[in-house]
Amino acid sequence: MNKRFKSGLLTSLNPTRYNLERWSYTLHRITGVILALFLIAHIFEIYHVTLGIAGWDQTMAELSNLGVIELIGMWIIAGSALYHGANGLRLILNEVFGLLLGKPRLPEYPYSPLSLGRNQKIAIYVITLIVVALWIWAGLYLLAGLGIVRW
Amino acid sequence: MKIRILRNDGSKQWWQEYSEEPHKGATVLDVLLNIRETQDHTLAFRHSCQMGSCGSCGMVINGKPSLACQTRITELKSETIRIEPLYSYPVIKDLVVDLNDFVNKHRSVKPYIIRKNPQELEEAPMEFRVTSRENMNFIQYDYCIMCGLCVAACPTVALDPQFTGPQALAQAYRYIADPRDEGFQERQPELDTSHGVWRCHFAGSCSFVCPKGVDPAKAIQLLKREILKRKFVRGPRAGAPASVLVQPEKPISNPPKAPPLDFKMGVNQNE
Ligand code: SF4
Ligand code: FES
Repeated sequence: MNKRFKSGLLTSLNPTRYNLERWSYTLHRITGVILALFLIAHIFEIYHVTLGIAGWDQTMAELSNLGVIELIGMWIIAGSALYHGANGLRLILNEVFGLLLGKPRLPEYPYSPLSLGRNQKIAIYVITLIVVALWIWAGLYLLAGLGIVRW
Repeated sequence: MKIRILRNDGSKQWWQEYSEEPHKGATVLDVLLNIRETQDHTLAFRHSCQMGSCGSCGMVINGKPSLACQTRITELKSETIRIEPLYSYPVIKDLVVDLNDFVNKHRSVKPYIIRKNPQELEEAPMEFRVTSRENMNFIQYDYCIMCGLCVAACPTVALDPQFTGPQALAQAYRYIADPRDEGFQERQPELDTSHGVWRCHFAGSCSFVCPKGVDPAKAIQLLKREILKRKFVRGPRAGAPASVLVQPEKPISNPPKAPPLDFKMGVNQNE
C-alpha cells in the first residue's frame, strides 16, 4: 500500500472532530464494503444451484444450520443493508432533488452551514431510529432461528 | 502550555514540542509568531492578513482544519495543542503546503462568466442584469477565500487525489447558477465525471470547517441536481434566461465622470 493511500485512508475513515453527516458518511462506506463482500459470498452461494437439486439442497441444509459466529455475521449484514438503504434514500433526496439542504443565502457570522442544518439532522436521527428498531427485530428473528427466543 | 508541531524538512517529518505561555485572547497564529521570534526561527508557516480574509494560514489544529488567525487558544480548551500541515496536500516545509494542484483544479472549472458570444464581455451590447433574488442563489459562494480547508477536511479527496474537490466544485456551481453565464456545456466535461461532482458522497466536512460560511457541500449537491436536470429534463443547451440582457436605463457608454483627484485631502493635508 503506498504511503499516500495509507495516510489518506486513515484521514478518510476518521470522523472524530467533524460533523454528524461525516459519521453517516463513514458508516455508509463501511456498510457498503460489508455489502460488497456479502454480495460476492452470495453469488458464490447461489452458484451451487448449478450442481443440481441434490447439491442445492445440501447447500441449503448447511445454511440453515448456522453457528453463533455466522449468525452474528448475518446480523451485521442485515444491519448494513438496513443502514445503507435508509441512508441511501436520504442521500438521494439530497443529491438528486436538492432537498434538506436549505436555500443558498448570505453567510452571516457565526456561520452555520444550512446543508448540515436542522432538516438534515432530523433526517439522520429518524433514519437511525428506524434502522435500530428494524435491526433489533432482525436480531430477534435470528435468535428465534437458534431457538433462544420464541417467535 | 505545550505546542506540538508536525515539522517537515522536505525529506523527513517529526513532532517538535515548544512550551509557550500565551496571553489571554491569543490566537494560534500569535503563538506561532512568538515561537518563531523567540524560540525557533526555522519554523515555517504562511500568514498575511491576520484577520481571516487572505486564507493563507490554514493548518490542522487539534485534528481540525482551521485558520490559525481565527482560532483562539482558549477556544481549544486543551493544555496541549497539536498543529499539523493541511491534510491531503504535499508538504513543502513544516506547515507550508503546496497549493498548485488546488489552484489548478479551481482553474479547471473555468471560474468566470462565459458567454456564447465572448465579444459581449468586451463590449456589452446591453446591461447584464441580475436581480437581488437571483444573486442570492450564488452570492454565498463568492465568499470563498481559497484557504483550502475544505479540501483538507474532505474524506474523498484524501482517497482520490484526482477528485476536483469541494472548493472548485462550489465555484463551478457559483458560475452555473449565475443567470449571466452560458458556460454549462464548456464546464460539463470537467464536472460530469466520476472524478468530478459524482465522486462527492456528501460527508459535509467541507462546510463544517469552512471559515467563511460558504457551504460547499450544498453547492455540490445543487450542482448534481443541476447537471441531472440539464441532462434529462431541460436539455444541456439551456443557458441564460433571455431577461438577463436588458436595455439599460442610462446608456452605459457614458459613465459619470469622477471628480478630479484632490491631493490636498488625506495624507498630504498638512503640506
Ligand atoms: S470553500 Fe470555504 S474552506 Fe473551501 S477554500 Fe473557500 S473559504 Fe476555504
Ligand atoms: S492570516 Fe489571513 S486568513 Fe489567517
